[in-house]
Amino acid sequence: MLKKLIGCSFFLLLLAAPALAGNDEAPAWLRDAAAQSNPAYDADVPAVVLRREQNTTVGDDGRIVTTTYYAVRVLRREGREFARAVVPYLTDSSKVRDINAWVIRAGGTVKHFGSDYVTDAISDPNDVYNEVRVKVIPAADDADSGTVFGYQATVEERSIFGYDDWSFQDRLPTLVARYALTLPTGWRAQGIVFNHAKIDPTVTGTSYSWELDNLRPIEIEPASPEVTDIAPRLAVSYVPAQGATTTLKTFTNWTDVSRWLSELHDPQATVNDALATKAMQLTANAHTELQKIQAIARYVQGLQYISIDIGLGRGGGFRPHAATEVFAKSYGDCKDKANLMRAMLKAVGITAYTVVVYLGDPTYVREEWASPSQFNHCIVAVKVSDETQSPTVVQSPKLGRLLIFDATDDMTPVGDLPAPEQGSLALVVAGDNGSLMRMPVTPPDSNHMERQAEMTLNANGSITASVHERSIGQAAAGERRLFRKVSRPEYTQVIERWITRGASGANVTRIEPADGSADGRFSLDVDFSSPAYAQLMQNRLLVFKPVLVERSQSLLLTKSTRQHPVVLEPYALTETVHIKLPADFDVDELPDPLKLDTPFGSYTASYEVKGDQLVFTRTLTLHATTIPTDQYASVRSFFERILATEQTPVVLARR
Amino acid sequence: MFRPRFFSPFFLALVCLLVFSATSAFANDNDWKPIDPAELSSTKPVVEPNADAEAIFWEVRMDDSSSEDLVFNHYIRIKIFTDRGRESQSKVDIPFGKISSYKIRIEDIAARTIKSDGTIIELKKTDIFERTIVKANGLKVKAKSFAMPGVEPGAIIEYRWREVHENQMANGIRLEFQRDIPVRTVKYYIKPYANGETMRVQTFHGNGPELVKERSGFYSVTMTNMTAVHEEPNMPPGDQIKTWMLIYYTPLPTSNPIIYWGLVTVAYNEILKPLIKVDNLVKQTSATAVGDATTPEQKLKKIFDYVRANIKNVSDDASGLTAEDRLKLKTNKSPSDTIKRGQGTMADIDLLFAALAKAAGFEVRVALAPDRSEIFFEPQFANAYFLEPSSIAVKVGDIWRFFNPGYNLLPFGMLRWQEEGEEALLISETGALWVRTPMSPPELSQVKRTAKLHLAEDGTLEGDVRIEYTGHLAVEKKEANDEDSPQQREDNLRDMIKANMSTAELSNIQIENVTDPVKPFAYAFHIKVPGYAQKTGKRLFLQPAFFQHGLGAQFQTSERRYAVYFHFPWSEDDNVTIDLPAGYTLDHAESPAPMAAGNISAYNVRIQVADNHTVIYHRTFFFGGGENIVFPTSSYGALKQVFDAVHTSDEHTLALKQNATAASN
Repeated sequence: MLKKLIGCSFFLLLLAAPALAGNDEAPAWLRDAAAQSNPAYDADVPAVVLRREQNTTVGDDGRIVTTTYYAVRVLRREGREFARAVVPYLTDSSKVRDINAWVIRAGGTVKHFGSDYVTDAISDPNDVYNEVRVKVIPAADDADSGTVFGYQATVEERSIFGYDDWSFQDRLPTLVARYALTLPTGWRAQGIVFNHAKIDPTVTGTSYSWELDNLRPIEIEPASPEVTDIAPRLAVSYVPAQGATTTLKTFTNWTDVSRWLSELHDPQATVNDALATKAMQLTANAHTELQKIQAIARYVQGLQYISIDIGLGRGGGFRPHAATEVFAKSYGDCKDKANLMRAMLKAVGITAYTVVVYLGDPTYVREEWASPSQFNHCIVAVKVSDETQSPTVVQSPKLGRLLIFDATDDMTPVGDLPAPEQGSLALVVAGDNGSLMRMPVTPPDSNHMERQAEMTLNANGSITASVHERSIGQAAAGERRLFRKVSRPEYTQVIERWITRGASGANVTRIEPADGSADGRFSLDVDFSSPAYAQLMQNRLLVFKPVLVERSQSLLLTKSTRQHPVVLEPYALTETVHIKLPADFDVDELPDPLKLDTPFGSYTASYEVKGDQLVFTRTLTLHATTIPTDQYASVRSFFERILATEQTPVVLARR
Repeated sequence: MFRPRFFSPFFLALVCLLVFSATSAFANDNDWKPIDPAELSSTKPVVEPNADAEAIFWEVRMDDSSSEDLVFNHYIRIKIFTDRGRESQSKVDIPFGKISSYKIRIEDIAARTIKSDGTIIELKKTDIFERTIVKANGLKVKAKSFAMPGVEPGAIIEYRWREVHENQMANGIRLEFQRDIPVRTVKYYIKPYANGETMRVQTFHGNGPELVKERSGFYSVTMTNMTAVHEEPNMPPGDQIKTWMLIYYTPLPTSNPIIYWGLVTVAYNEILKPLIKVDNLVKQTSATAVGDATTPEQKLKKIFDYVRANIKNVSDDASGLTAEDRLKLKTNKSPSDTIKRGQGTMADIDLLFAALAKAAGFEVRVALAPDRSEIFFEPQFANAYFLEPSSIAVKVGDIWRFFNPGYNLLPFGMLRWQEEGEEALLISETGALWVRTPMSPPELSQVKRTAKLHLAEDGTLEGDVRIEYTGHLAVEKKEANDEDSPQQREDNLRDMIKANMSTAELSNIQIENVTDPVKPFAYAFHIKVPGYAQKTGKRLFLQPAFFQHGLGAQFQTSERRYAVYFHFPWSEDDNVTIDLPAGYTLDHAESPAPMAAGNISAYNVRIQVADNHTVIYHRTFFFGGGENIVFPTSSYGALKQVFDAVHTSDEHTLALKQNATAASN
């Protein structure tokens, strides 16, 4: 211990740091970028990208060399976080040849960040194994307002894919964004730019260049489309010379993509005795096609999600593990689960297909670019007969009726589909018969919560109350997620907080959830009391808010102007509150009823005195809608009026 | 700002992660322990009724007997009860690699799942993946990762591995007895290094279990029915609630704390003597600093102000110095060095203050104190593990006063809250002296808020607001804002206000004294809140507690697992005036009833009406009087009642009635 005491220099902590840098010189491209002035932006824009450039050279042997040039000017202190080079690579099929970064300080001095500063890290710590890694040069500590940071990196990869996609910007404003591509002699490129008017590339021989300049910042706004639906992005396919042999896989249409994915998926839908026996056991008591599907779906959804990604550069990210292996280990990722479900259904005589989809932005996948890289998730399409009726059945021209189902989301049973997947384009992987299809959108009445509440109001302002909620569809999935993701004591606390938000000092005496996951339902019954829900004024007036729980307390859309459309998620609520009034009081004032009816949603609030009871009813329906910016004022007003109504109290007066 | 540490928190956390991230077997023992059929068929947890998974046993053999390596053999067996338990327990990452000067390797991983029907699925070697988590600048953290096969509710999983810390001793190693799930039996086998200093153990927050002598030079310690570690708002620091054991070697006699601390003091004194040496330059500087001050208080204040004003604090994260700039700085080896260079670390500034005070004739000692954000320390524990040099103690009359000028956001006479209300060890040639540092009373950490507002007939509230923070509240605000740009500071304020009043629009924002150590941190702004008051047919309803509008109750759940802990006492003083719209008068002007909880807390609200037109609302509240900032679980109900009552009173609403004339128009 004494050694420890003496060995520690008093009050001193020296943080490890790389070797000191001298006054280095920045490369010419970075000096040129730094010499550019930028337009004035709003004060909250943290940085501006001066140059965002990718130069890709494709060899006919499948070797692709990409050099990235990136320069950013920090505009305010918080923009320091953008002084950071991040270069992803795959351990199996690519390598970072070189990566260098520089900081040019406001005074003109330069610091060079070489290999001593590079951190090499896993990309996703949650995966048991993943070949995606990143090389990072963090320079935020050396940057401040006025600093220009730049990096240059060259990555060499051996890809099997003859395509690329690239975004011209992220949220930051960008002065120059350029994607340059050089193909082997005789090859040509086909590019499409999304989220922007058509851009023709500059072509010299087999070299192509797409460029956009002076891109405005993309503001972060609540209920906004995903940035992938706003920022211009380029999708480019390489077309080999006639008769050329190449290892690069290219796709001319969606059937091509379906065929290729089928080659990867179909051999993996393996069935052995153990798997078949399990499928038979699961469906032993099922009498209908739907019941068989449900039984297998429940089993597969119940397996643990674990991702082990190997051979990504060779298409491994698209190939599921063999169904028998996933069955034996009882875990897998989305494509493993979809594939296992397909194999188990096969074992009981039902045909199914895997479906690849993009999870996170329903508008992300574009029909005009046939490429498997547009997808990041895998679900299932089960071929069903007319006997099976469900809101998630779609009609395929070649495959007939298909029941769409997500075998990974264990909150959403058969007959429903997670909201982020609804309405998106997805590819049914079925060889020559595969096609890009629009995923089903379930109607509002399939995603609904009904709430009934009874409240007894006493003359001193205290209440006793019961709340009963019945949810179906995605409304139930949300409740189920809340219920299942935490332990029972934690769930109790969640409900107590929910009640207490509307009723200060509430004492919750009963919480009874019921998870009807088999039929997509969820119910919750809660009893509670609150000592001072209503305020007694001068012993004469009793004032309270009739919205007992989940009262609108705040607005999401508060800014007066809007840069991007408003995206609404579907939601439907019907609520009736029966309030037994204290004997000595009469209703003195009621809030005005409200009825709003718009293309994106509707709302009603009404009040009725029936004997000694006040009956309050509200309904809210929101459609899955994207509302253009020129209608922003109307959607903002919609929610403002709801807030005002739900905050307005009822006044009782003593007789 | 940073505080000097013996070990960096990152390093300690990493070592803990490495040692206890998951879990071990007996060296050279390839046999799994037999499974009790009752355990396989059990469906209910034993330790915590709602647990999703529960460790049946967790055994670690720590062998420190080698002069080279420290070896841990881990073995854990876990019963899975629910899908959540499966999710949380069946993926295992065991970190290893080269961290700092230590190198750790992992060997002999074995794992298996036993399903409830008795089927056993062994983990294949090919299913164990080695990953490099991060590699940079001499650091290489790797992990062996695997997913347990075939896990389902009802199954038992077990795994074991050997962990070798090359060329490391167990000195300073922490043995945890609790983890993310409950554990029925935790057993550590410990084999100390025999040829050196004596190994000692100290248990925290356990029942002090006996060390039992085992075979082959091992000792064992066992604890049973260990609950999982949970998270709660306002809970004490982790080391204060968890059961854990510190392993350390020392030649000093720990059985007698008085002797132990005496020896520690002697050792520290030798280190510190040159660092607070008074030479001619220090004497001259002290005389200059003190000037014409006459009282001890005045002299110390002058010296405090002098070091703050004349020595650039290079530790200050708002100093503009980069890590690289700091590396170029020369080390000050004495107070004179600090004076000559005109700059120093926070430690240099503290030491210079000590030397100048000493030169001015004060009795001065360097104070070693624990950190209350980590543990509530007791000097009966003879181990300097938790103590760090933290401030300068100066005797004024019969009282020891504490100063920390090096931490440049603290006012004169205050310590960081982390070091207040703690026993501090004062270092001197005359031996160890323990003195309790004072805790700043509620009035020293105050938020003072004023608002002059006008209410419009449509319910919009508009006017000017000023909010000032002093003491620890100011330090928190300054720390949170001092590195931000002016624009970001405004955004922080907007976020803070809009969190409780989403419709609020702020303008003319001024944020004052962000880096000033003395003046209150202050916001001043103009605000407009559409829809603040609710309008019915003939009334407007108004919450006069403008600054509490939209706040939720402090405690919202009925059950409490751990003590409630507030970092420091604080107070609030609000003055709100609201001009009422023409045509409306106050229907009633009742004030909520005052409340008091002994000397711990008091709440008072006074509502007045001036000229039948202006509501004047004055609210005061304090909490933590009498240094009461920790409340046992048994008093949670009463504490919740106090805060619930305050919350209800803050929601107190005034009804404004439309005058008959206005109503008829």
